[in-house]
Amino acid sequence: MAQTTETIDQNQNQNASSNKPKWLLVLGAMGPGILTAMAGNDAGGISTYSSAGALFGYKTLWMILVMTFLLIVAQESACRMGVVTGKGFASLIREKFGVRLTAFAMLALVISNVAINFSNFAGIASGMELFGVPKYISLPFAGIAVWLLIMSGSYRRVEKILLAVSSVFITYVIAAFLAGPDWGQVAKSTFIPQVVPSASFISLTIAAIGATIAPWMIFLAQNNVVDKGAGVESLPYQRIDAVTGSVLGCLIAWFIIITTGTILHPQGIVIAEAADAARALAPIAGPFAEKLFAAGLVAASFLAACVLPGVTSSAVCEAFGWERGENRTWEEAPTYKTISTIVIISGVVVVLTPNINLFQMMVTAQVIAGVLLPVLLFFLIFIINDKRIMGKFTNGRVWNVLTWLTIIIVTILTIAMFVLEFLNIG
Amino acid sequence: MNYLSEMIGLPVYDATGEKIGEVNDIGIATGEIFPRVTSLAFRGPSRTPFMISWRKYVDNITDKGVYLQVAAEDIRFSYLQPSELLLARDLLDKQIVDTQGLKVVRVNDLKLSQSGKDQLRLLGAETGIRGILRQLWPPLEKFALKVSSLFGKKLDERLIAWNYMDLLDRDLSQVKLSITHKRLDELHPADVADIIEQLDPRLRANVFASLDAEVASATMSELEDEYQADVIDDMDESFASSMIAGMDPDDAADLLNELSYDKAEKLLHLMGVHEQKSIRKLLGFKDETAGGIMTSEFVALDEESTVSDTVDYIRALDEEHPSFHYVYTLDRDGILSGVLSLRTLVLAQPDELLKDLAYTDLITANPEEDQEEVAISIMKYDLLALPVVDENYRLLGIVTVDDALDVLQEEHEEDLQLAGDNRAVEGDKLISNIMWFVRRQLWFFIWLILGVIAFGTGAIADYAFLLAALPIVLIIADDMTSYASNYAIEYAGNDEDAPSPLSLTVQNLLIGLSVGGFLGLLAFVAISLFNDPLLSHNFKLIAVAGGITIALTIFASGIYMYLMKARTDKGKDPGTYLTSVVSMLMASVIYFGLAYALTHFFGLVG
Repeated sequence: MAQTTETIDQNQNQNASSNKPKWLLVLGAMGPGILTAMAGNDAGGISTYSSAGALFGYKTLWMILVMTFLLIVAQESACRMGVVTGKGFASLIREKFGVRLTAFAMLALVISNVAINFSNFAGIASGMELFGVPKYISLPFAGIAVWLLIMSGSYRRVEKILLAVSSVFITYVIAAFLAGPDWGQVAKSTFIPQVVPSASFISLTIAAIGATIAPWMIFLAQNNVVDKGAGVESLPYQRIDAVTGSVLGCLIAWFIIITTGTILHPQGIVIAEAADAARALAPIAGPFAEKLFAAGLVAASFLAACVLPGVTSSAVCEAFGWERGENRTWEEAPTYKTISTIVIISGVVVVLTPNINLFQMMVTAQVIAGVLLPVLLFFLIFIINDKRIMGKFTNGRVWNVLTWLTIIIVTILTIAMFVLEFLNIG
Repeated sequence: MNYLSEMIGLPVYDATGEKIGEVNDIGIATGEIFPRVTSLAFRGPSRTPFMISWRKYVDNITDKGVYLQVAAEDIRFSYLQPSELLLARDLLDKQIVDTQGLKVVRVNDLKLSQSGKDQLRLLGAETGIRGILRQLWPPLEKFALKVSSLFGKKLDERLIAWNYMDLLDRDLSQVKLSITHKRLDELHPADVADIIEQLDPRLRANVFASLDAEVASATMSELEDEYQADVIDDMDESFASSMIAGMDPDDAADLLNELSYDKAEKLLHLMGVHEQKSIRKLLGFKDETAGGIMTSEFVALDEESTVSDTVDYIRALDEEHPSFHYVYTLDRDGILSGVLSLRTLVLAQPDELLKDLAYTDLITANPEEDQEEVAISIMKYDLLALPVVDENYRLLGIVTVDDALDVLQEEHEEDLQLAGDNRAVEGDKLISNIMWFVRRQLWFFIWLILGVIAFGTGAIADYAFLLAALPIVLIIADDMTSYASNYAIEYAGNDEDAPSPLSLTVQNLLIGLSVGGFLGLLAFVAISLFNDPLLSHNFKLIAVAGGITIALTIFASGIYMYLMKARTDKGKDPGTYLTSVVSMLMASVIYFGLAYALTHFFGLVG
């Protein structure tokens, strides 16, 4: 009940604001898509992009275009589903495909999200260590900060704070300019695909594209739109937001590859994770570049760590019909708050556990996410073409072709990943 | 066949026994509190969807399939009416608003019930975890029920009846949700009672409130005893009282016996003098005796009356007087002297006297007689009612044949249960017996499991000695929990007589130290007796680790007492079982932890 009335209130707000200038409406709609895309550049993503640049220089830049395309398709679809139905992706899966498939999808989602969240807390820890803060101090603080933010109770406030946090990504842009790349070469590499015939190049490509659309991002993009209370009349503006967000998110990745490609690649420095990249930057580009990179890593990890617990518990609660949402109290939505809390605590505890094999966990998470993503995209295309659900907002012919193309690309990459994993290459 | 999730996918057979498809969906007519199933949607060969009228074509539905009355070629297909909706398409897995609890919930399953001969009705939407588990895999639900009952909890269904639902989906908003309660009243009270028994407890009283007084009384009589008291407790008192007044006095007295004394008195005071008197007469008798099941509403006249007097008397009887088959005659002192059937009465001349017609060789029962014996008498002598008389042969009431049948059924079920317990043949019985044993002798299983773990990890050689002494630790941990729960139950809500927490703590500490110390001492005696280095090491280990663990366990029982008392003070059950599991697991952990620490860090090994 509360949910319905709230939606109505917000719809009225939107109607009341319809005589405002258009640019204000666009600005008002901004948030959900940008937030999702920015959170998508999490610790794992930054590590992947950094090492792609370090290993192959500008030769991987063209992937950004593919990634942007995939991300736009996924984000626009999620945004449209959210605006039209007013329900989360998990709800729609449950309503269309029943309990069994939903339970399977949720299980995979929870496992992969929890593991991805480990990598985010690990990112916070290693980023803060570059500032001289030991992880035994930084992690508990980060855990409490994330928890307080999620429990604080208002989606709109959380959205504003997280958008502010994501502005720290500008550090990667500055770092790229500090590196002083050959912009002509950059432009050429971006638009002309190059392939290095080696297994590690292929596996890195897969990892980079995999990091662009994580399964949880579809849920997040849709939930953000729903929680914002955007109605059908605001669909054009939400679409602008979704596309802008996708482009911005991939642009950040582009700058990261440029930075490490300019500085680290010529020196032949190979790195394993984002913090390595920052450390390697210091002797060549100066301590300022290192701090910029580290700050970006901490902010990115923090941002993702803030959204993952919520998106995980939202999806589970929605799928099984429990109350959810940041606006609910503990009494109203005990399961929602409990799952969020467990995801946060497990992140802190696991990363602080000595001798734990985080890397193996990451690989497992990646495999699960890799299997889950094509399945989710299949769900998505069946839901979005169902007239009973989407009314007149089903996919047009062009968009259908693009979505199928996305599914095909993602499926091929997933299969390729398995083959590589199986042959132990990469 | 109670749930939609179980029906979907069932094969559909026509009258010739040929399979013509699989159930796809079920349509209901909206507008009733328990909507009737009106159509059946099924998928024919090559996945073509069909829809047919349920009333016209469906003969019956079992867990094997849906059987139609006609052959496939005689079926005429129908379309979904605007007032109908499809359960799987429109409700299952969807969100609805629970207008009573005022929140949005998801429909995890839909519960249906057979009412009448071949009518199927929607009872409500299930929104609890059981629906999810059932949809995932039915055995999962059964397993969860077993596990939760093991912990003394009941996993209830959460049902929302049709009239408390509000659909969220825009497409369905044109479906009329207004409910007419008329239909429910038209059902036989026994059917209404069946429906009510299957509902969520909080809904039962509401459904009663929607019935008119007469149907409510009849329905209440039909309700199983175990539900009656709960429903009455949830009801408005004046409504409850007038409903009980409308019941047959014997049923009313049974029901009042189930209630608390205060509640029963309150309800009795609220009703008319006449009803109150006839119920009170029956209240004094014990359950399961002739007095307990008899009714005080019977027809008895002076034996000097004529047949026409009698007929006049019967004509003047209240409309609500229960139907009867015998007229009893009383002599001048009010003593039971004979009985005559209505048939005799009808065939006799109007001026004949009752005493000339009555049958005087009476079979009677006294009020203390066991109900089963009374029932057997009724069966043996083919009676429709049996008079119950006091020691002076004064007529107190009659036991009617329908009550006798209930008694026989009850006793039959009891007998079956007893037999089942002894033989444990059925699978379910066997499992529940094992469960019972596990609950009672849990220490044994924990011991067994730890032993298996030690064996499996190859650590059996190191831990064999420790394991040998583990039962002592476990049994003490178990017993301490029952000790604590006895304390909690004894002093529940009574802080004055209860010993203070401090004195309990000190007391427990002292007991713990002395028991632990005594066991340690025993072990050291054993060491000096055997004088073998390996043996003495092991004994030392057991003595120290076991002694400290037992001391700690006994000490910890003070905490359990405190926690359990807090629970019983609030009227909850003390949670003995869970506590004893925790207590035993903690004791095992401390015991092995200590043994490990002693050997590895303090060099007790020597």
